[in-house]
Amino acid sequence: MFDTLLELFVFDVQNSLQRFAPELTLCVTVVAMLLVRLFNLDRHVPSYWVALGGTLISFFFAFTDFNMLKMESFDLAQQTIFTGLLVFDGFTIFFRLFLLLFLILVIALTVLSGIPDNEDGADFYVLLLGSTIGMMLMSSANHMLILFLGIEMASVPGYVMVGFLKGRKKSSEAAFKYVVYGAGAAGVMLYGISLLTGLLGTADMVEIASRMNAVFAGSESVGMGDATARTVILALVMILAGFAFKLSIVPFHFWCPDAFEGAAAEIGGFLSVASKAAAFALLARFCVAFSTGQADNLKEFYMYVGIGIGAIAALSATFGNLAAYAQTNVKRLLAYSTIAHAGYMLMAISALVVVLNEPAGDLFARLDADGDGVLTRQIAEQRYQYDVPELYRSDIAIIFDQLGKNSITQAEFVEQAKDPAVVHTLHRGLGAQALEGLLYYLAVYMFMNLGAFAIVALIRNHIFSEELEDYKGLVHQTPALCICMLICMFSLVGLPPLGGFVGKFMIFATLFEAGAVHWSMWAILLIGGVNTVFSLVYYIRVLKVMFLAERPADARPALIPFRSAPSMYCVMVTVPVLALGIFVEQLSYTARQVASILF
Amino acid sequence: MSSETLTIEEFQEIGKALRFLLMVAWLLPLAGFAVEIFAGYWGHRRSKMASFLAVGCIFIGFACSLGALIHWGTLTRWGHKTVAESQHHEGKSEGEGQTGILDAGKLPVEFVALADKPTAHKDADNDDHHTTSGGGHKDAHHEGEHHDDHHGPGTPAFSGGFYLLGSFGDIEIGLDYYIDSLTLIMFTMVTLIATCIHIFAIGYMSDELVEDYVDHHAHTSDGKHVHRPGRFYRFFAFMSLFCFSMLGLVLAGNIFQVFVFWELVGICSYLLIGFYTERKSASTAANKAFIMNRVGDFGFLIGLMVIVTYLGTFRFADHEVNGAAQPGLFTMIRGADGHIDLDQTVDVETGNDVNVVLLKGVDGETLTNANGKNRTIPYWLLIVAGLGVFGGCVGKSAQFPLQTWLPDAMEGPTPVSALVHSATMVAAGVYLAGRFFPMFTTEVLLTIAYIGCITLFVAATIAVVATDIKRVLAYSTISQLGYMMLAIGIGGWGAGLFHLVTHAFFKSLMFLASGSVIIGCHHEQEMPRMGGLWRKMPITAFTMLVGVIAISGLAIPGISIFGEKIAFSGYHSKDEIVATALAFMQMNEQHFLLFLVPLITAGITAFYMFRLWFYTFAGEPRDAELHSHVHETPWVMTTPLIILAVFAAGCAIGGTHGPLWLGLLNSEPIGLATGLTGQLSGIATPSHDAVHAVHSTAGMYALIVAATGAFVAYLLYGAGVIDPGDIKQQFVSLHTFLVEKWRFDELYDAMFVRPVHIVASWCVGVDRYVFDGLIHRTARTTIDVSRWDRKFDEGIIDGLVNLVGNAVFSAGRSLRVVQTGSLRQYIMFIAVGVLVLFVLLFAVFPS
Repeated sequence: MFDTLLELFVFDVQNSLQRFAPELTLCVTVVAMLLVRLFNLDRHVPSYWVALGGTLISFFFAFTDFNMLKMESFDLAQQTIFTGLLVFDGFTIFFRLFLLLFLILVIALTVLSGIPDNEDGADFYVLLLGSTIGMMLMSSANHMLILFLGIEMASVPGYVMVGFLKGRKKSSEAAFKYVVYGAGAAGVMLYGISLLTGLLGTADMVEIASRMNAVFAGSESVGMGDATARTVILALVMILAGFAFKLSIVPFHFWCPDAFEGAAAEIGGFLSVASKAAAFALLARFCVAFSTGQADNLKEFYMYVGIGIGAIAALSATFGNLAAYAQTNVKRLLAYSTIAHAGYMLMAISALVVVLNEPAGDLFARLDADGDGVLTRQIAEQRYQYDVPELYRSDIAIIFDQLGKNSITQAEFVEQAKDPAVVHTLHRGLGAQALEGLLYYLAVYMFMNLGAFAIVALIRNHIFSEELEDYKGLVHQTPALCICMLICMFSLVGLPPLGGFVGKFMIFATLFEAGAVHWSMWAILLIGGVNTVFSLVYYIRVLKVMFLAERPADARPALIPFRSAPSMYCVMVTVPVLALGIFVEQLSYTARQVASILF
Repeated sequence: MSSETLTIEEFQEIGKALRFLLMVAWLLPLAGFAVEIFAGYWGHRRSKMASFLAVGCIFIGFACSLGALIHWGTLTRWGHKTVAESQHHEGKSEGEGQTGILDAGKLPVEFVALADKPTAHKDADNDDHHTTSGGGHKDAHHEGEHHDDHHGPGTPAFSGGFYLLGSFGDIEIGLDYYIDSLTLIMFTMVTLIATCIHIFAIGYMSDELVEDYVDHHAHTSDGKHVHRPGRFYRFFAFMSLFCFSMLGLVLAGNIFQVFVFWELVGICSYLLIGFYTERKSASTAANKAFIMNRVGDFGFLIGLMVIVTYLGTFRFADHEVNGAAQPGLFTMIRGADGHIDLDQTVDVETGNDVNVVLLKGVDGETLTNANGKNRTIPYWLLIVAGLGVFGGCVGKSAQFPLQTWLPDAMEGPTPVSALVHSATMVAAGVYLAGRFFPMFTTEVLLTIAYIGCITLFVAATIAVVATDIKRVLAYSTISQLGYMMLAIGIGGWGAGLFHLVTHAFFKSLMFLASGSVIIGCHHEQEMPRMGGLWRKMPITAFTMLVGVIAISGLAIPGISIFGEKIAFSGYHSKDEIVATALAFMQMNEQHFLLFLVPLITAGITAFYMFRLWFYTFAGEPRDAELHSHVHETPWVMTTPLIILAVFAAGCAIGGTHGPLWLGLLNSEPIGLATGLTGQLSGIATPSHDAVHAVHSTAGMYALIVAATGAFVAYLLYGAGVIDPGDIKQQFVSLHTFLVEKWRFDELYDAMFVRPVHIVASWCVGVDRYVFDGLIHRTARTTIDVSRWDRKFDEGIIDGLVNLVGNAVFSAGRSLRVVQTGSLRQYIMFIAVGVLVLFVLLFAVFPS
């Protein structure tokens, strides 16, 4: 008995370690850097080489996995590793690749801007890599415990990095605020997790859906009158508050402007993209875990949660954009901009939750255009096709196939849809579409936001300031950087033909589709659209200062020629922003396939 | 001559070789142009590289053309060996089979039988009789007394496509080729002359080989001479482009392609005539040449439209479109014996009572449309098409009434004049008239003849009084072109093109000689200041004399060596024209002028040409100072003169038994040998026999007249027996009239330019007072409205926008207040946030 268990365990560990290769590589790199430091080798081998080398090897592993995924045309089944704590699937692979690519870009940026000097290099890169390991854990979490551990593992090095500019008071203050705020948020989240797991008796996310069904099996509909439901709501709000902290969503965003202003711009860029991407990956997994295969009584309940998320998203976008107006510090302005962008991306999550929890009766009514209560197969397939991507065009057929008839009444439809497999299939089309938009947005966001922060960092190295006022007329001195800034900012606004437009368009398109499920999505779409206009103003203000103002004679010069490594770096980061705005199909196809893996 | 035949494979092999050689000859100058224009621009201004390159290209082109001519000549025995009739259809089908790859750019040589051609009498002993040649493979024609040198079923042309540019329904437009003996001879002639001219130009243009060229004829606004970089390379680049365009025109296999290269030739002449673009006279002349040509091209375009509308193809030869056989233009119009198939029943739909039935092939089968009816083109539209295309020729070949641009074109450098006047530009018009001959009805032909007749007389009379050496030659060119057009118009197709070739040689020779004189005399062009130059420049003088004798058509009668008359080329060709005219007059007596005018003009020609020579080279120097500086030009300029002199003297050797004539006749359109008769007009063209019958008579007339002209010139200018000044005094008004070039320029000024100016001034008036007034009023109203609009905009809209903006901005600013920076508050907000969210959800959630 024990032998069998041991054998199973050994096998599982072996298999898991193999799947865990990128993270392991990063761990080894961390150890290697510490050793290098210990033996004073860092005088000969700059630590960034070690970090970069380790990251590249790790990237290579992730890339191999990705290629395997592509070769098997994204058909890889989900498999759990480490006895179900982590999940290894296409989604994991995608985010690993994403995070590692981003890590490489950030390391390259730090080498260029020289923010950790050689003395501190090892410390800095240990933190950077450690944080990334945490994020990668987040993206593959399958268990509440890992969820929490991942978030903390990503956050703690982040606290230190924010305070990395040791000599500066502002930096230390920011780090301190970030630590305390983070601790508070973690406490709340942990509380929520304990409530939920206590209630359900499991922390495994796969189990959640069925346990929830079991808990609410008796009740006709789930409402606030029910004490269990209140507990669940409170737990969910608390867990989501934890997420909101990581995502800097209003009203849990307070740390963000202060931390970003205090930290170096490189750190700001890293935190704003990587930790958000990882948190979104985790949130998506979390939401899908809750929303898969639910009975109708819970669906309505979750739908309201989804709308609540949407409301917060809209609030966040609006708040971020409006608050950015009054900023005079570029980093702070970008901090508010990241709050707003988190809001846009959260809208995709909101749409995801809403479309996944559409009650079967509503879906029937939506498809049955003439309202006579009977739906023929032909009409159903036709109307269903308008909503979902072609990957899932035939999903509606499952209802008719199971019934063996070519027309169906509402009662039969609802009855059929009670089967978890069926309900899962029916909703995955729109869900995948929502996630596709999110993934695309994240990919573009990686480049455009990193581009903006990188430019701020590189300019800071010359003029020793991040105040907007000191950016006057920079275009005459560093044309390449300014033009890259222009492209990044226009992309952040969402102007075609840049990548930001495509990402935003995809999310808004999903919201539009989701509006058919619940009207409030249309309201959120409207707020999102208006926000785009709001955001234009403050981005343009930065560009106006950079391009139209005269450079004061006494200003510090920032002469960065076009043919220099900083300019080249910025161009390299900016070109994908343009390319993703023009060549959409390649990435969107991958994103769609990866998104579909979750369902 | 026994009838020999080739197999279809051999025939196609020949075609492939010809296609390749001519393509090389055609495209090399283009490559040369591309290299010269760029390399020259970035290169050294004193480098002669461009000229060597240009000469190299055109010389290799000449070698290829000559090679092609010889290849064709030896393998087909100068057109006598053709594909046997039994193999004819086989060849057709094979051609069809291969056209499948036509689109792919790998083009087989299509075999095109233009049906029976009259053939020339090759044997010397045939010249004294009355053979009806012609006839054909149709049995009906075999009953005549048929000479034994009867050939296979048709003299073929090689045709096909290089590259398909596009197809529009059943109409395909592409780069095609059409190669027959005319093409080959034109290629050889053009490349040879162009080579000589290029070499000559190396010497002539050498003063451009400087970084800073001072143009003494052009002035800046402050009265100084214009300084500019030398443009040696540019001259040669344009010359290369010119040659490319002309060769493309000759090689073209469809009328649309002809038009494209036609325009290219036009633009090249524009560029070269206006080469000294800083001189007002040069740029004006270039404009004039270009605009006058556009007038003609307008007609050409109309012709093209008629053709494409009614005939549905541009190509000369039969070909395939979308897998279906498509007869070429010539096949459609002319039947096997050259007749036009008329359908005189009234067409109910269009009301046309005379229609031309379009033929499918030489065997008389007709084309039918979808309803099974014969496809036709109204006869009058065929005339329009013919006249339209000829209109283009009128412009290009400087025929009456569009002749005035050519003398002005003398503003270009002399080598350009030589090229324009002999081998390229003006030749293009005559060439096209010849190539397009089957499409011309007899009415059109008569028009052509009269146009030519008027032109040749008018130009010759002006040449008599011109004193600028180049202008005399220019008018002489116009006059000679008139001869060619006349010949074509009266059915002397061979005679006209014969004269085109011989004229090209002696006219280029004379132009180059005059260029040599101009260089020798340090850019003096006025003949009254010359005289006695032959002592200083003997080579120039005597080569020029060869040209003068050739153009005058002088010969020594009665004596012959090896059975050949002692005569230069011009004698033979002009003789042929006069003979054709005489034969024509005998058949159509009302058109006697078409014989008399050219005959008399032959005398005038001899007169003004000898006048030129005596004036320039003989006698005593009239300007001693000029004379003392005169020198013979260097060898790069005299060598081409000598080469051209040899050809000017001997290219037509053998006359109507010579290779040139026989070669040309190989391509003669169907039916001409037996004579064509217009069914409606009743005009008949003479058959070869008829011409032959009067040949010696006509030759005698022509010689007498020419000799008289030459003699009078000698009396006036050589021997000085009579003082030309006296004659001038006697006919002062006539002299003035001629010096003013029949007042054509004034006439056109009054007829077109001034009316246009007047209309233009009216337009200006209307524009200024009516339209501008309207616009101004509109503008004022708009301003008023927009002023109001601005008030509205600034007050209300902007106010609203600003209000919103300010509100949003202050909202944003007020949000700052939340961000207090106090950590204690932040932590509190976490708790408050969770609580508030919970409460909110509690509130909205359905219980």
